[in-house]
Amino acid sequence: MVAINTFWDERKLLVFVALIIAAAGFMLLEIDASRHGRQSVVDVVVGALFTPLESGLARTVNGVRSGVYNVIHSGRFAAENRALTDKTRRLAAANERLKEAAAENRELRRLVAMKSTVAGVPLTADVIGYTPEATSRAITIDRGTGDGVRRDSVVVAGDGLVGHVLSAGPHAATVLLIIDPQSSVPAYLARSRSWGIVAGTWLHVKMKYIDQKAKPEIGDLVVTGRGEIYPGGIPIGRVREIDRKDNALYQTAVLDPAVDFSNLTHVLVYPAP
Amino acid sequence: MSVADRLRATPRVLFGPRNPVQAGAAAPPRFTTLLLIAAALALAQAAFAHAWMVRGAQPSPITVLIVWTGLRCGATTGGWLGFFGGALEDALGGGGAYVLGSTAVGFLAGLFSSRFFADSVPAVAVAVGAGTIVRNAITYVVLETALGHRGMYHRFAHATAWEVLLNCAIAAVAIVAARWWLARR
Repeated sequence: MVAINTFWDERKLLVFVALIIAAAGFMLLEIDASRHGRQSVVDVVVGALFTPLESGLARTVNGVRSGVYNVIHSGRFAAENRALTDKTRRLAAANERLKEAAAENRELRRLVAMKSTVAGVPLTADVIGYTPEATSRAITIDRGTGDGVRRDSVVVAGDGLVGHVLSAGPHAATVLLIIDPQSSVPAYLARSRSWGIVAGTWLHVKMKYIDQKAKPEIGDLVVTGRGEIYPGGIPIGRVREIDRKDNALYQTAVLDPAVDFSNLTHVLVYPAP
Repeated sequence: MSVADRLRATPRVLFGPRNPVQAGAAAPPRFTTLLLIAAALALAQAAFAHAWMVRGAQPSPITVLIVWTGLRCGATTGGWLGFFGGALEDALGGGGAYVLGSTAVGFLAGLFSSRFFADSVPAVAVAVGAGTIVRNAITYVVLETALGHRGMYHRFAHATAWEVLLNCAIAAVAIVAARWWLARR
């Protein structure tokens, strides 16, 4: 009975009612604010006071948790690290292979494009070697007389003229590059149609015997002229320098070859007619 | 009359303190201190209680504090602390769902303040468990009726069962820690 009297004590009941009203009022305030998509005044004040503390606390706790987690799982992390390192190496190797395949793909596309610019049915060939000594600038390809390759067969790459076959064996052939000084190719400036002879200078090619009346310009494209060996219209390079003397009979132009001879891998061979 | 004599004279409803020194754990701090503790707990709950989640339930140390305060200080203090604690939880993201339940639980726990030893681990644990159920029941009603959250009975009931366990464990640890701390003083 004492407990019941205490429970229904008038003052306590008043406090209870007041508290419930206050709580219900606060609850409605919060609910109303959230229904309208905003924060109540209390939320704003409490948020302003607590947000920095909350943020700092969360950062601290997360840091500690992360540290503890790292220490506990260090063994697993080491194993994972080894596995990931191996995977990275494998992926890097695969990536290199893919890059190589992509480069090869680009080169083959250029070859296909080149194939359509030159008359005749070409053979595809892989470059299997360069001259071992710097006595000449030549390459070896994996096609020979057995495939129809003959002396003077024209060899082109995706970007332009490579050279012609110097000698052919049953299964391989040696190709003299146009940058070899022994090479000479009849050619003309595509823009002005001025003829000349392109000869090698080891690193570049030089177009000699250009008529004095011609006005070659830097960047002009030089293509093969139809002759005994070469078909016409194959890009050789672009004019880099022009050597013109008033008292000379001809002009000379130094060309940048269209083909990068240090990275030849696939070529097309046009058997001699 | 000494504290020991007073304790011996008090009827023990459940398990009482083992010695008179332990009775100190039942002595509540000042209300402002309680408010600061409640604020710290609300902050801790908002900041990282999600990391303690067990089967969809989060422990609620603030509920433990409110119930324990009600048991130690009576209905009025328990009710007010419940009000402020619940309001703080709502302001920190509750959206109005907790204040009513916290207030009611604080007040109801206070009604039993003259019947329990507020430093008895089993007594407080049982009170905290019951308080958690009542608080969550009121919260559920508020969520269903006022906030329109439907179809969450099973999940809520399951989470409440786990929360009861977690809160009881927190209450036990808190009382043992309080006893130890007071014994050192």
